This record gives sequence, C-alpha cells and structure tokens, in this order.
Amino acid sequence: MPRWLRDTRVIIGLSVLVVVLALALLAPLLVQATPDEQDLLATLLPSAWAKGGEAAHPLGTDSLGRDVLARLLYGTRLALTVAAIAAPGAMILGTIAALLGGYFGGWVDWVIGRAVDVWMSFPPVILSLILMVGLGTGSRNVILAIVLVDWTRFCRVLRAEVLVVVQRDYVTAARLVGFSHARVILREILPAIVPLLVTLLTLEMGIAVVVEAILAFVGLGVKPDEIAWGQMIADGRATIYQAPINLLAPVAAIFVTVAGFNLLGDGLRRSLDLRLVEGRG
Amino acid sequence: MSAAFARRLLAVAPILAFVSLLLFAALRLLPIDPAAMSMPPTATKVEIEAARHAMGLDQPVTTQYVIWLGQTLRGDFGNSIHMRRPVAGLLQETLPATIELSVMAMLIAGVIGLGGGLGLFALRDRRGEAVAETLTTLMMSLPEFLWALLLIFVFGVLLSALPFTGRLDPGMTRPVVTQFLLLDTLLVGRVDVFFSALRHMVLPAFALGVAFAPPIMRVLRASLIDAYQEDYIRQARLRGVGEARILLGHALQNAVLPTLTLMGVQFGFLFGGSLLVEVIYSYPGMGNLMVDAVRNADLPIIQAVGLTYCVVVLAITALVDGLVMLLNPRLRGA
Repeated sequence: MPRWLRDTRVIIGLSVLVVVLALALLAPLLVQATPDEQDLLATLLPSAWAKGGEAAHPLGTDSLGRDVLARLLYGTRLALTVAAIAAPGAMILGTIAALLGGYFGGWVDWVIGRAVDVWMSFPPVILSLILMVGLGTGSRNVILAIVLVDWTRFCRVLRAEVLVVVQRDYVTAARLVGFSHARVILREILPAIVPLLVTLLTLEMGIAVVVEAILAFVGLGVKPDEIAWGQMIADGRATIYQAPINLLAPVAAIFVTVAGFNLLGDGLRRSLDLRLVEGRG
Repeated sequence: MSAAFARRLLAVAPILAFVSLLLFAALRLLPIDPAAMSMPPTATKVEIEAARHAMGLDQPVTTQYVIWLGQTLRGDFGNSIHMRRPVAGLLQETLPATIELSVMAMLIAGVIGLGGGLGLFALRDRRGEAVAETLTTLMMSLPEFLWALLLIFVFGVLLSALPFTGRLDPGMTRPVVTQFLLLDTLLVGRVDVFFSALRHMVLPAFALGVAFAPPIMRVLRASLIDAYQEDYIRQARLRGVGEARILLGHALQNAVLPTLTLMGVQFGFLFGGSLLVEVIYSYPGMGNLMVDAVRNADLPIIQAVGLTYCVVVLAITALVDGLVMLLNPRLRGA
C-alpha cells in the first residue's frame, strides 16, 4: 500500500468524496423530479418519513414546491465543479508566484511578497464580495473570484518551502552543472514540494465549496437559474419554522463535502509527514 | 523596541496606499455611473452632466483618485448613493457594533482554542488522540455561517432559548454615548438593556468564536509538544518540579508565543467572517452595511467599508506583532 494511503482519515475522506461525486453524477437516475420543476399546490412538504410527507419527495419540497432532494443532488454538481476548477486554478497561480519568488529572490521576490501583503490585508470574504461586484454573478465568475482571492494561501506556504529546497545540495549541483532556470525549477524544485502542494489543494477544494456557498447565500454567486446549496440555504432560512429540512439539508451537504476534503487533507498531511500550520478564513 | 514597532507601523503605510489604489481602480472600472444613480429617474441629460461635473467624474481618473484619497484621509467618504447620507456617519454607527461582536467572538475563540489545545495536548500518545484530532478536523469543516444557522435552529427555533435577530428586545431604545452599545448601556446605568444586548450577542459571538477556535487548538498543541522537547523541561523534571508546574510555568510560557501570533491572524479572518454572521443575525454592523451596498452597487460605501476592514486587519496584525515582540525576550532588544 502506498505511504499516502496508510492513514485512516485518508481512506474515510476519499470514501466520502467518492460517494458525493457519485451522487452528483448519478443525480438524474436517483431522483425522478427535476430540480427546478415547481408545484405550487405542494409547497413546503415535510420529509417522506414525517407526518404529511409524500414518497415522491423524500426530503420534502421548498416554498415553490420544488423537490429538495433533487435540488440537493444537482447542487452537488455545481459545488464539485467549482471546487475542481477553482482550487487547481488558485494552486497554479500561487505555485508559479512561490517558485519565481523563492528561486530568483531579489526584486521578484520583493514584488510578490508585497502583493501577498496587500492581498492578506483584505479579509477573504470582503475581497471576494468586492470582486463579485466587479465581475458580476455566474459560476464562471465565482471560480475566477476564488482563484484571485486564494492564490495567496498557496503562495505564502509554498514560498517558505521553496526557500528551504533551493538551499539543498542537489539543487546547487543542478545549477552548477549549468541546467537552465526552467529545468531547475520544474525538474528539481517542483517535485520536492508536490506533497505539500497536494495537501494544500485538497484543503483548498473544501474552502472553495464553502466560498461558493457563501456567495450564493449572499445572492452574489451563481445566476438565479443555477442550483446552488447557498441559494437553498438562503431560501430555507425564510421557512425555518415551517420546513426546517429546507435549511438543514444543504447545511449537512456542505458539512459532509467539506469534511471529506478536510479529512483527506489532514490525513495526507499526517501520512506524508508535513509540518503545516495555517489559519482559516 | 519602540523604534522597531514604529518601523512595523511605517511598513503598513505603503500597503494601505496600494489597497486604496486597488479599491479605487477596481470599482472605477465598473459600468456604473454614480452620477446617474444619484439623480431621480426623471433627470435630464443636462442635469446628469451637471452632477457628473459636480462629482468630478469628468476629470482624468488619476485626478479623481487624488481627490478621493485626499477626502478619505480627511474622513470624508462621500455620500451613500442609495441612502443619501454621509458614509462617515454610517461607518460611525456600524463599526463599533462589528468591533463589539468580533472582540467578544475572539474571547470565545481564545477560551475554546486554548482550553481545547491543552486538552488535545493532555491526550497526546493516548488512545483518544486520533479521535480528538478527527473531531477538530470535523469542527474545521463547519464554517462560521453554518454554525450561525445551526445555532439559530437549535437555540432559537427548537428551544426558543435565545433571541437571534437584532441587538435589543423590541420596545427598548438604545442609549447613545460612544456608539458601543454594551458600554453605553452601562454608562447610562441601564442594566436591563445591557443584559438584553448581551443575550442578543450570545449566539452570533459563539458562532463566530467556535468556528475560528480549532486552528488555535492545533497550534497550541503543536507548540507545547515542541516545548517539551527542549532541555529546560528535562532539567526541570530532574530538579523534581511537578508536572503541573512544568506545563503551566515552563512549557506554556514558550508555547504561547506562536499561538498568539496565530491568534492575531485568526482575528483578522474572524473580523472578515463577522460579515456573514451579521447578515444571518440581522446584526446592524459593517457586514450588513457592506452586503446592502454590494446589492445596490453603492460604490462610496463599498470603498469606505472595504478600506475600513483592511485598516482594522492591518492594525490588529501590527498590534499582535508588537505584543509578540514585547513578550519575546529574544526580540525585546531589537
């Protein structure tokens, strides 16, 4: 068994994520109802096992009579899509900045360091809100906003690591042999930081799920016709007394998905023996 | 020491200048005409042009930035387009509320974080360790806005134990002395209003605090484990010092510095996270002001509030750095 699979948390996290991914992919097969089909005669139905519930709507309906389970499953697609594109995007941007700054040092490093300072002085939520005002709603812009806000999470941690790796003998040797900068960076330094990179990427995917939900909740995320967990939460909050499942179902979905990413990330950190301590915002 | 601290503050100035430039540039690129928005829909083209001229929008962008920066430095943030009121007044009313919420939440985060960190450390190398660590991972998977919603559901809706909207019971009027509600109620001697305000803050402050506690727990635990590797711990043991005194008197003193640095970082994140908690609890702070402004594309408010968040975060970071310098004997002479 490879080293990274040896931690129980890695296995639990991966299993959770595989199930979530399967639910997203198989959504049309799992529920008959379509997520935006309204039935104004059957609004705010409770879950099937509660009194007054119907088997056709296992988790009940929302205030417009739309099936909660269907919306939950289709919302998974958006959450995972955003996580799968935004997190690698932030990683690529942050890693390039960290490699350039850590390897070349001097004014390159200075400029990147000051850029990180400026970015870090914005609370992430505030910066993403401001960006969404400028970019406008839509899932593509949500992804762009997450990339533009969160590249610093990668840059900060990776730059410190690059500075350590650059000092190692084999890197010095590679430079003395006369390899090009690109080759030293890509073939000698990059492989050394891959374990850290993968761990950070996993954690960032969880963060992306949360940010997508936050923006949709505030009403600045996806367009109204896209189905998002944050949108469901905003709707469900209005009917918290009549049909709490409308609120609790998407909250649980976010928790389970983010927990999957975090268990996997923490497990990887442990089994790959990384020292990584960071705040969360 | 004070020279080093002054240098730290000076380093903040260019960052702030750049932040202001970024805010100004980002929001000037929007396809929104503040002049047209500030006029009634019946205004003629000539009237709008006159308003554009009065607002300086017909001048070059660089001139506009200099004018805006000059006014901002003098505390004049312009007028809200939507509410037709000076933004400075709106900030004066909402910033204290957000500070009250954030400080209270940070205290809760500190208590849970430090207590939890000691607990995690006590479990080291025991059977419960893996379980406890998994629990903190799960805790980290609940961001502040999910905590806020869950707490409303349990304590507000199911148990009806605590209020979850606004700051005071209906019918109570808020005394205004300093704009800090908790302080003002005590200054005018209205203990009943004070307790009402406090009850309204329990859920939002707890939601915010508990969400930011897990990283504090982890850092304290890791720092304590590091401290226990040091020679002075073995020396103390050899001298026959009790385990409790070793932990509290020796190890904790050294482990607390990295923890404090992280708590500063966490406070910055927490201050930004208060936005969502405010929205969920209809708490009249800067977060609600910001979200309303964002929905109405109210540029003067977005610029001023965005800048205020940055100023507070930079101030917290500088303060914590200063505190760490004061507490760390190795940096004291610097």
